[in-house]
Amino acid sequence: MIVPMARLRVLGPKDRFQAALGAVQDLGQMQLTQVPGREGIAAARLDARGEVRRRQLTRVLTDVDECVRTLAAGRARPASFEMHGAATPQQLARWTRLAAKTRREVKQLEARETALDEERALLKRYREFLVAVLPDVRRVSGVPQLTSHAVVVPAASRGVLDGLGAALRAQLGDEFSMAVHELPGGDAAIFLVLPARFSAQLEAQLHAARVPEIPLPEGYRDLPLEDAIPKMLLRIGEIPQELTACADQRATMWRARGEELLHARAAIQDWLDAATARERTAITSHAFAIEGWLPARSVPSFQQKLAAAAGPTLVVETIAREAWGKEDVPVVLANPRLFRPFEFLIALLPLPKYGSIDPTPFVAVFFPLIFGMMLGDVGYGALLAGLALLLHHRAKAGSALRTACEIALPCALFTVIFGVLYGECFGDLPQRLFGLHPLVLNREKAVFAALAAAIGVGVVQVVLGLVLGAISAGRHAPKEALGRGLSAAMVLLVTAALLAAFKVLPAKLFTPSVIALLCAFPVLIFAEGVIAPVELLATLGNVLSYARIMALGTASVMLAIVANQMVGAVGSTVVGLLFALLFHLVNFAIGLFSPAIHTLRLHYVEFFGKFYQPGGRRFEPFAHRGAASSKASSADSSARSSP
Amino acid sequence: MISMWVALGAAAVLAISALATAWAQSKIGTAGAAALAEKPELAGTIVILVAIPETMVILGFIVAVLLILRGGGGG
Repeated sequence: MIVPMARLRVLGPKDRFQAALGAVQDLGQMQLTQVPGREGIAAARLDARGEVRRRQLTRVLTDVDECVRTLAAGRARPASFEMHGAATPQQLARWTRLAAKTRREVKQLEARETALDEERALLKRYREFLVAVLPDVRRVSGVPQLTSHAVVVPAASRGVLDGLGAALRAQLGDEFSMAVHELPGGDAAIFLVLPARFSAQLEAQLHAARVPEIPLPEGYRDLPLEDAIPKMLLRIGEIPQELTACADQRATMWRARGEELLHARAAIQDWLDAATARERTAITSHAFAIEGWLPARSVPSFQQKLAAAAGPTLVVETIAREAWGKEDVPVVLANPRLFRPFEFLIALLPLPKYGSIDPTPFVAVFFPLIFGMMLGDVGYGALLAGLALLLHHRAKAGSALRTACEIALPCALFTVIFGVLYGECFGDLPQRLFGLHPLVLNREKAVFAALAAAIGVGVVQVVLGLVLGAISAGRHAPKEALGRGLSAAMVLLVTAALLAAFKVLPAKLFTPSVIALLCAFPVLIFAEGVIAPVELLATLGNVLSYARIMALGTASVMLAIVANQMVGAVGSTVVGLLFALLFHLVNFAIGLFSPAIHTLRLHYVEFFGKFYQPGGRRFEPFAHRGAASSKASSADSSARSSP
Repeated sequence: MISMWVALGAAAVLAISALATAWAQSKIGTAGAAALAEKPELAGTIVILVAIPETMVILGFIVAVLLILRGGGGG
């Protein structure tokens, strides 16, 4: 459900403004909203000095964020990190210095790592070539009449190679040797040996063909090739150690400064949040006003805590419902423990508007049900439950993975239940091994019954959606509510007429259903306009869309049966068994992904389309960013560094 | 015994609807991936958009099954 909210106004003498704002932040229950401007009332903006500090702290925060991002990558958060109230000016000054120093060191470290990475990549690229040409280089170095050149021809200019060879042959005859070595990426490294007197001509040829010399790393460029190559080969082994040393330095910095950086980040964000919050308040020459939203049920406790924290001179009043519109109210969803994980699926869409219907309870019931109907297999259900329990045990509390596991568990339960009803455990194994038969439905053979069951679920969910839409619209648009209600009735009438036509229901129901439909039609056009027939057809299309439950279910069971048939189909039983297991594994993976996506789609498109009103704003209370900060007492508010 | 024409018809229904779905999903998926890179909060909407064309192949599958069952393939 969507929690009812209240809008509160906190009033007090001007000299208690800072204490009151600090207490509101410490309590962390209220989302501040702009106090309406009136004559003589101004927003409590920062003075010129405060603005300078805001700009300075924004820059410091950028530095701290960068340091934390770089140093904390893949490392655990310091265990002792905890906020202890607001920062003092001395702390802020120290953090400014710390952030600048750490950022500088981190940048130097990053530059060093980048240089090492580039050097390693370059050396690795030419390693094979260098090893191959080293003997020739040594031989040439002992003969002063000869000279050698190592050049690289890019992949895009490979045509140059033939031209270069032909041009050199034309100029030098056979007095040169050219060894070509393929490099990763298509480039070619060339080692040329020729008489020293032709060196100038070769360089002219290379220049004309735009073929560059092999770019040796810095530090080797001035060395003769016969000295540089052994050093470079040695260097390849040294670089990983230097990179490890850089990583160790990073880890040491994080251990030494991580806690303080996190503390600094939280405190600076707090300061900036408080500065932004000030602008939403109003202040006169004698008094101040703060307005904001909080859950209605929290109002009494908030009033008590605020009075205790900021003194009895404050007045907290609830603003009358008539004075605010639903559009401004932030949305808080509150559901029973069992349903709460399914709020995650609602969060993938924009939040519902305040005052509309929270679909979480319906999703919590229908999502596992439809998922179970699709997968419907005791074996796969048990596997899913085991996997979900294992991951749930390993996932951090509050993480997306843990929430996904909490959604997967009821899905697994319904998969097992439907597996029992369908008589399926890894496909048709119960029938093959023990001669057991399905309790309710054989999905392999009774395709029409499965289709009817799927459409039946569609009728129930779409009609429920229309009824919810009628209830939701009934509060402000009676005509729209009438249209939705009538659409729901007409879907039921169409279903009854079809069932009567196919003799599932008594045939005598057919005529009354059709007459009722014909009577309802003009009323529907009156309620929803000329578009009503199209809307009704679209609604019937939505119902038919639930046929995917049967389609995916049939595909899943057929794949499982094919997997089981592999045991006998391949010559060796062991090989057949392995193939069957592999196929079941693939089917299980498909069976997790596909039903989940399609169940979501059925909810988002077919079900939510009938009543869901997106556009709600998330409730974001004005609070401290760090852990355990809400416990910080506001008693020290006079000593705090206030914006 | 399923007649050859019924089997061919069922195969054609499934193949054409699968190709249509694949084409639509390729277009939507490409655009969706690009949008997701810039706005990760659109994940829910993009999942829906990508899943929408699958209705075609699912209905194609159902029609194919009906063709085979009604065309003498079984009951």
